[in-house]
Amino acid sequence: MSNINQLLFFRFLFLSLGQILIFNNFLIFGNNVNIYLIFVLVFPLNFNTSLSYIIVFLFGFILDFFSNSMGIITFSLLISILIQPYILKFVFGNFDINQVRKISEYISKTSLFQKTSYLLIMFISHQLIINFIDIFSFEKLKIIINKTLVSTFISIFFSYIILLIFFRNNER
Amino acid sequence: MRNFIDYLIKNTSSIIYLFLITIALTQIFSRNYYQNSVFNLYFSEITNSFIDEKNNITSYLNLIEENKRLVRENMYLLEESINSNYLSLDSIQKDNFELIPAGIISNSIRFDKNFITLNAGDNDGVEIDDGIITKFGIIGIINKTSDKFSTGISLLNSEIKINAMLKKTNHFGSLFWDGLSHEKVKLTDIPKSANISKGDTIVSGGMSYIFPKNILIGVVDDYSIPESTNYYDITIRLFEDFGAIRNVFVIKNNSFDELKSLIENE
Repeated sequence: MSNINQLLFFRFLFLSLGQILIFNNFLIFGNNVNIYLIFVLVFPLNFNTSLSYIIVFLFGFILDFFSNSMGIITFSLLISILIQPYILKFVFGNFDINQVRKISEYISKTSLFQKTSYLLIMFISHQLIINFIDIFSFEKLKIIINKTLVSTFISIFFSYIILLIFFRNNER
Repeated sequence: MRNFIDYLIKNTSSIIYLFLITIALTQIFSRNYYQNSVFNLYFSEITNSFIDEKNNITSYLNLIEENKRLVRENMYLLEESINSNYLSLDSIQKDNFELIPAGIISNSIRFDKNFITLNAGDNDGVEIDDGIITKFGIIGIINKTSDKFSTGISLLNSEIKINAMLKKTNHFGSLFWDGLSHEKVKLTDIPKSANISKGDTIVSGGMSYIFPKNILIGVVDDYSIPESTNYYDITIRLFEDFGAIRNVFVIKNNSFDELKSLIENE
């Protein structure tokens, strides 16, 4: 278990610093790259539920204050962590959460299609919530959808590279 | 009672989840205009000091860019000092406004409602409703202050509207951001009779207590007249690059209270 705690701590540090110091500082096609969602994507499954909510909350809170977004990221991260197990089940089929220690052990043998659809669903839902809360108007639905799609694809591109580089052998 | 406690123990995680999501929601709803949460203020004081330190270190990397900006600014100042002999009438209005220099410690441009944090606060004389400007444009309006820091609503916030006018004909309208590109804003309510062409300069209109007249904003990038209206729909390219601002001025109207009380009395 201490191994998992250590892993979480390093991911927390690495992803929050990476987002704040690097990815918050530039825009691609007018959209930010959000790599921090990786923290939720590879969050250990049989972790204490209450504790996981608190950790994700803190993670979002720190990101919020450094990106001047005041609560939006925290809120959408909390939604993402709530729906994550259901989407995992939907994409990869049924499994017993208590049997799986790390997500990597479970999805290492699945196809690329399954992995990308997992990323796609998680990122689209996350970006949609962020943009909808930020803009908060049905009149601008076109802008919301446009922004969501562009930032989803940019974020997936960068996140997939980071996942391949850092999370391939031990974690994912 | 026992059942109730059992129920609580069973559902700890759901209760914690609801609690956390409520905090997140209050944060979201408190970000508009003048509402303050105590929690927010304490935490922002800590993070702002941290970001300020970070900026001290990284500012060296931007010295070249900053130098270019200063040269550009000096050029304008020189030009203005030469012209000022002919514009002595303006000095009456200038005396009413006071400038306070400030640095930007965090600034977002990626959301629909963006905010700016400055490293000047109550101690430096910054007050709510003061304007934020640079030599090349209007940046925003202060909405919250603490001892050492203050936050402002950016011009790139779809809820803000600013009075602006066409420099050559003095026709005025209202300026707002449509949330699309951080380099462009929209100007409406300029009547058909104003003869607009691409490249015309837009400056602040002065019909507000916050900003004085003739602060640069941008140039006309594109315009059209929508059917069945008599007003232009103008897209403006901003002079100021919102992604690269480091230093700003807080502009204070010394007769703000007097003007406000006059309006309220009416």
